[in-house]
Amino acid sequence: MAEIKGVLLPAYVLADESASMGPYLEELSDGLVSLCEGLRAEPMIAAKLRLAVLGFSDDVQVRLAVADMRTETSLPEVVIRGTTCYRAVFDDLLQRIPTDVQWLRGQGYRVHRPVVFFLSDGQPTDGNAWRLPHAELVDRARTPTAPNIIACGIGSAEARTMLEVATRPEFAFVAVPGADIGRAIAEFFHSLTASLVSSGHALNSADPRLVVNRPDQFTLAIDEVGL
Amino acid sequence: MSPNGVEVPPWRRIAVGTPGVEFEARPPGEEASDVPDAECDGWSTAALTLRLASVRGAQHRYYGKPRQDAARAVPHQPSGAVVFAVADGVSSAVRAEQGAAEACRAALDRILLQLAWSPASLDLRDVALHAAERLRRLAGVRLNKAEPDPTEVAALYATTLVTGVVRPHPDGPVVELCRIGDSGAWLLDGRRAVYRPVFPSKTGSDTLLVSNEVRALPAVPATVEQATGRLGPDQVLLIGTDGFGDPLGDGDGRVGALFADQLATPPAPLWLAHVLDFDRETFDDDRTLLAVWRRSPAPPR
Repeated sequence: MAEIKGVLLPAYVLADESASMGPYLEELSDGLVSLCEGLRAEPMIAAKLRLAVLGFSDDVQVRLAVADMRTETSLPEVVIRGTTCYRAVFDDLLQRIPTDVQWLRGQGYRVHRPVVFFLSDGQPTDGNAWRLPHAELVDRARTPTAPNIIACGIGSAEARTMLEVATRPEFAFVAVPGADIGRAIAEFFHSLTASLVSSGHALNSADPRLVVNRPDQFTLAIDEVGL
Repeated sequence: MSPNGVEVPPWRRIAVGTPGVEFEARPPGEEASDVPDAECDGWSTAALTLRLASVRGAQHRYYGKPRQDAARAVPHQPSGAVVFAVADGVSSAVRAEQGAAEACRAALDRILLQLAWSPASLDLRDVALHAAERLRRLAGVRLNKAEPDPTEVAALYATTLVTGVVRPHPDGPVVELCRIGDSGAWLLDGRRAVYRPVFPSKTGSDTLLVSNEVRALPAVPATVEQATGRLGPDQVLLIGTDGFGDPLGDGDGRVGALFADQLATPPAPLWLAHVLDFDRETFDDDRTLLAVWRRSPAPPR
């Protein structure tokens, strides 16, 4: 067996690049920069993470491949385009995550359950087509590397949909009614950075757990749905 | 002096592969004044030799948190047995370091009491239950509450625990131990440098993902994981928290080689602490290691 080089948390940021996000391109770009800089400022934590940034619309495009943020020098650049196809996201992750986990293991790392941070400003434009790949992705029997999914909805994304995308009710958030969308995006990335840093503290301990901080300007989706 | 002639400062952390970030440690808070950065111990009974060390992990040093691991060992004078406990405070617990230390003290107290009452048999689940009870009492005092509920106890003092006894025997020392949580135990075959895990590992090479399932005191399962065996002539019993177990992995890498070499004979306790404080990128948790050898006729180092 190859020597264990470390125990890593693979983290995927799924950023909605659909046309309706156009007015918020600057906030989206700034948020990604602050995420990368925030992780670089915590090298001990960043050493235990591998970050991927994926832009989604009609398809998924890699803005940052699984990267060690201590050494990664490029910044992810988002491109506004097309519709809000959720199926593209889950089809992509179904292929990508198992491959990445095997690759990391092949590099000599042990791997924590991956985490996906999903940000969308709209309802899926592909109807219910996303449900099958999503169900397969989060089913740990069919997909042993099934990720935890944190879903954050802004704009016209509905609370019920975020609850369906997230893997636990406490992982689903929606922007509070009337919230400034640009500010909500910024808060999403602040919270994402804080969640990754907090989770990084808890990794390699007797209590390796995922820590998810609710972003300011967001509320738990379950509170909005009233289940 | 290193092999290439470059002067190496004495006691510089031993790098195993890529070292982590260098920095001066920050102090833990005022409430942790009785938890030193590192501690070690070592002694021998007529038949057994013990060494233990516990060192604060780089992450806790960097962020000014106390070491949350603990280890204790005591001889049982009438039998010459070694009674031991190793605990890893759960990081989400507010006073994890106190929980770990109290669990170790409670386990030793209970095992010594059992040995006094009934030397032939141990009830290790009772030991775990007693440790849980002591955590509950500690929480009661802190919260000024007669009956703190288990979630309140866990929020303050949750900890893993491996505890047991090594008894001398004409056919070779007999080991009895149990664990709550994911701290580990191994039998190191000194001749072949092979580590045989006593309990299943969370980071074994056959596991696709690292398990995030946490079992810790004060919860005590109906069936407590237990093991019994004999310590062979070339074997060393190792008890370690996951700060040691994770980088060790299956034991066939550089960390395994380092400890197989350093534990070939019992090292000086301070040296064990130094070796345990090895520097390896991403492995920054507190580390605790307790080792028991058959006592050798040759004097220990």
